[in-house]
Amino acid sequence: MQFKDNPVFAMLFLEAVAICLLISFRFINLESTVNLLWFNLLFVSMTFILKAPLNRKLGLLALGNVLGVFCNFYYRLFHSAGCLIFGDPFSLVYVILYPFFNFMWIVTFWSLSLAALSSQAKGRR
Amino acid sequence: MKKLIIQAFKLMIGFYTVVIVGYLFRHYIFTFTALRKSDNSCSDDFEDHLYEPTVSIVIPARNEEKVIGQLLQRMTELTYPMEKLKEVIVINDASSDATGQIAEEYSKHYSFIRVIHRDKKTGGKGKPSAINSCLHLLTGVIVLFFDADYIPQIDIVEKLVRGFVNPNVGAIQGRPVVYNEPKNLVTKIIALERIGGYCIGQKARDDLGLTPQFGGTVGGFRRAFLEEIGSLDESMLTDDTDWTFLVRLHGYKVRYIDDAECYEEAVDSWSAYWKQRHRWALGHMQVCFKHGWSVVKSRKLCLKEKIDGLLLLHLYFLPVATLFSWLAGIMLVLFEPSPAVYTMWYFTPMSLYILAANSAPFFEIGIGTYLDERTRIQWLIPLLLFSYLFNILICTKAFFDLLFSKVLRKQKNSWAKTNHNGGENRYSGIRS
Repeated sequence: MQFKDNPVFAMLFLEAVAICLLISFRFINLESTVNLLWFNLLFVSMTFILKAPLNRKLGLLALGNVLGVFCNFYYRLFHSAGCLIFGDPFSLVYVILYPFFNFMWIVTFWSLSLAALSSQAKGRR
Repeated sequence: MKKLIIQAFKLMIGFYTVVIVGYLFRHYIFTFTALRKSDNSCSDDFEDHLYEPTVSIVIPARNEEKVIGQLLQRMTELTYPMEKLKEVIVINDASSDATGQIAEEYSKHYSFIRVIHRDKKTGGKGKPSAINSCLHLLTGVIVLFFDADYIPQIDIVEKLVRGFVNPNVGAIQGRPVVYNEPKNLVTKIIALERIGGYCIGQKARDDLGLTPQFGGTVGGFRRAFLEEIGSLDESMLTDDTDWTFLVRLHGYKVRYIDDAECYEEAVDSWSAYWKQRHRWALGHMQVCFKHGWSVVKSRKLCLKEKIDGLLLLHLYFLPVATLFSWLAGIMLVLFEPSPAVYTMWYFTPMSLYILAANSAPFFEIGIGTYLDERTRIQWLIPLLLFSYLFNILICTKAFFDLLFSKVLRKQKNSWAKTNHNGGENRYSGIRS
């Protein structure tokens, strides 16, 4: 059975998404979980209707969640480091910038995924 | 007092979030419709019609010596039956360069090309004024407009006029495609905005039975409609949006034809981008004040058209509202830090996802590039964030300019002309 049709891979990717959500909620913060859910909603609603193998889309979704966990983890570290150096007021700066930081990784990853799916669709044609 | 201000800020952000969600929903429907229709092979309901009415073409030009030649050359190569192409009228609008001479040169070689020269006294007052000067000369049943920097397909007239086969259609819009896209980042960003706006926005509006926007070029009108309205409002900076609503309010329909492509030269510097967008924003806001109430009470528009029309009219107010909401949100975070305020703030910059480029969401542009099979340019989508931040400044300046002109009752109506250099298509004499 090929990769694109194999249900085992599909399950694996879905599990990866679930694990990422759990990690973000348990070890980072609630906001990061909300961000991942927002990313998943955008990704599923806008790329799953495109013509491409399901496993490829699920793989990209899982990869996006892993990237999201890393990005949010580093934002959290950045926050901690900032508070240590500049004191508590840094928290406010972090709160203000946080949605913009997340915009960057979500849109960047979505665009690159779209490029990957488009190039495959183009190649098929 | 402090409590009152905080409550006002919260209300403002709440209202803004509701509006943004409305726009998100609208654009999601557009994107989904365009995707769904792309699978439908027989989506073009004009395909089977052969309709060849008489046509007049109008080309307003002011200091366009570098590009006017390429367009006039293309006019001589059109495949539309010559006996049906009544005239190509070039309006030399008080140019101080060789635009008039080049047009005259073509006029001598081709009898259907006519040139109207406007001197400095009567001309230079903007595109609507230039067009008004030639309305009485038009003889074609259909009148098409092209800006001087555009290069249409040779069969564009056939493609555009077939939309008029339906007598209820009053205006037609074709698709502009940026030809100097590889030049630099500005042209690439504009190309992305164009793809999102036309490939998805205009197409979906047409498919959903809403009103596609007439863009002022690469399109045209039924002459009967022009005779009905008499002349164009010369105080409008975006005559195209004004025309769109005039057409609808007079009971005609506007249609969009995706395969009628015309190649345009996009502005290639941020300063030119600022000037052009500032004019668009200011003009769009003017049109909102002019037609907003008429749209609400019109009996010729159904409810969905009214809602879409109002959302379209208020489009350029959104970046201004975004700026105010961000400022209000930051104030709240700084002066009343609490988990509830943090949550509220979190949703405010979410507008970034919806308004990325010229008020089109990034996913609309992304899906547009997908349907257009433009893989490489998709990599630039995240950069639309910066163009949106730039647009916030532009629209806010336009908003205050309009506000001051209303308060001081000074209608300052200077036409910020976009300069074109023609690139590699620069005029080099008549080709036979």
